[in-house]
Amino acid sequence: MAQIETEYFGNISYREDSVFDFPAGLPAFVNEKRFVPIESPQHSPLLFLQSMARPSLCFLALPIQVVDPGYRLAVCREDLVSLELATDRQPELASEVAVLVLLSMHDGLLSTANLMAPIVVNLKTRRALQAIRQDSVYSHQHPIPRAPSSQAGPARMEQPC
Amino acid sequence: MLVLRRRAGESLFIGDDIEIEVLAITSQGAKIGIRAPRETVILRKELKLTEQQNEAAAQTLGKKDFERAIENFEKPKPSGVMPGRRAGPA
Repeated sequence: MAQIETEYFGNISYREDSVFDFPAGLPAFVNEKRFVPIESPQHSPLLFLQSMARPSLCFLALPIQVVDPGYRLAVCREDLVSLELATDRQPELASEVAVLVLLSMHDGLLSTANLMAPIVVNLKTRRALQAIRQDSVYSHQHPIPRAPSSQAGPARMEQPC
Repeated sequence: MLVLRRRAGESLFIGDDIEIEVLAITSQGAKIGIRAPRETVILRKELKLTEQQNEAAAQTLGKKDFERAIENFEKPKPSGVMPGRRAGPA
């Protein structure tokens, strides 16, 4: 298996067919076009999205089903075309696409997920993009649950899948 | 926030060289035209927010208290929602 260098995990091996291709990069990171998803049982269901071009760039993500099981996709036509998906309907989660949300840490705690702009991956081709919603249904700073021991933040409980 | 009312076909200036014109208004939304110097960056707000959020997200793993953050993360049950091939530490 091929290997890449990463800042947080050292050298990791990956399979070429696991790579997510972002032909347009990500907003603010337009030159980062390839990411390897890294799952670690210890941190499941957290997922790491490691840039192949920049060892220091690694996003933390969660599958959308974990953050909001009732999430409704609204990928615009232009994005569906880029993803090489049918444009007359929204893609099906898990069978056609994986949908991940990027996490941000505030005050030293993992606290928000960007539900306004989920990462959508065509599972067949591994083409991916960050699909920015054009409605205002979901927040770019959606609070995510914390363990009961943590003090800050609203006690917002959501059912896992 | 300054609020003013404009009809379709009317416009306004921001400074000397940025003109915003309301081209059309429908039930779907307002169509806006912008005349501005080439170097002026114009972004939809959603994109701007996503850029800022991505910048913040990119810093997250580098924070020294990352482990603490992960410990405080309330882990839902694994749901097997990431089908497909996996990568792992070598």
